[in-house]
Amino acid sequence: MPNALLSIAGWEAPITERSSPDAAPKAGAVPPLARDRAAAADAVLLGWAAAGDRLAFDQLATRHLPALYRIGLRITGSAAEAEEVAQEALLRAWRNAARFDPARGQVGTWLYSIASHAAIDRARRAAPLPLDAAPETADPAPDPEAALAARERQALLGAALRELPPRQRAALALSHDQGLSGAEAAAALSISTRALEGLLRRARFLLASRLRGILE
Amino acid sequence: MRPETFSGLLDTHGADPARWPPAEAEAARRLLADSAEARALHRRAQALAALLDESLPGPDAQALARMRARLAQAVATAPPPAPAGASIWDSPGASPWAWLRPLWPAGCGALVTLAACLLWLNLAPGPAAQPWLGAPPLLAMVELPE
Repeated sequence: MPNALLSIAGWEAPITERSSPDAAPKAGAVPPLARDRAAAADAVLLGWAAAGDRLAFDQLATRHLPALYRIGLRITGSAAEAEEVAQEALLRAWRNAARFDPARGQVGTWLYSIASHAAIDRARRAAPLPLDAAPETADPAPDPEAALAARERQALLGAALRELPPRQRAALALSHDQGLSGAEAAAALSISTRALEGLLRRARFLLASRLRGILE
Repeated sequence: MRPETFSGLLDTHGADPARWPPAEAEAARRLLADSAEARALHRRAQALAALLDESLPGPDAQALARMRARLAQAVATAPPPAPAGASIWDSPGASPWAWLRPLWPAGCGALVTLAACLLWLNLAPGPAAQPWLGAPPLLAMVELPE
């Protein structure tokens, strides 16, 4: 099943249970010119977007782009792919804004779900990254020796991360990087909580065994 | 709790005690206080978590601006969101059959042609009876062996 369908289907309310498109956040209640988009909650912005408000969607995108980029970066390992993932996820969200069901979770989690599936698809299609294609990280240490050591640690971590299957990287991206609860991360990946725990356990175990020398 | 179980807990839920399941958190904390081995495992898990945190830079300002601009352009040219009750034909990105959509006119044309053919076959008069091709004349034409 294509991931676009997976990610959207999991969050879509059955038509019989669904209220009208603009009923959830009362999209039509505030006229477009009177909308305070900067102060509006995500669900309200998405409701306005579902009614065709592109400015509301831009506000929502601005809030979530950095997190969606990070999810893409963790799963694909490539900054260029991460940008594509973030844009693709938001474009899918625009197309399906009216199908989001707030009873099933938060807007952010829904967006992370779409981005994760898009990134997993890309990571599966892409050839394995060369060793020097790891994302550039800022050197936290001021002195050259510490900076060099930090770069070496990051290179080792990058190599170990590339050994993980995309789904395990996605589990880390949602659970560790974004701090989602087990239930939220499992729902975002369309798997059970138990399956998510298995992915996390195997991912951390492999990373710890590959990085044993620098974690001691 | 045994150190092996604690190690599995750290692999599954990470080093942050706030994320440990309540049912196991108390026993894990007790083991952490009593066991040097558990403390070593916990330090290793914390080091891994810190390494993961360092490894994920956010997008810089240029990348953010680039993504916003591209997205705004894509959204500006995209049709408005599909209504909640729309059929799968109305949401090409979400439908596995979306690639068939351009063939819709050709498919309709083919169906109309097929229906017209069937109608014509049913209404058209059948072949006229050919008495001279019936069985008795044919039998009469057969030259029987003597």
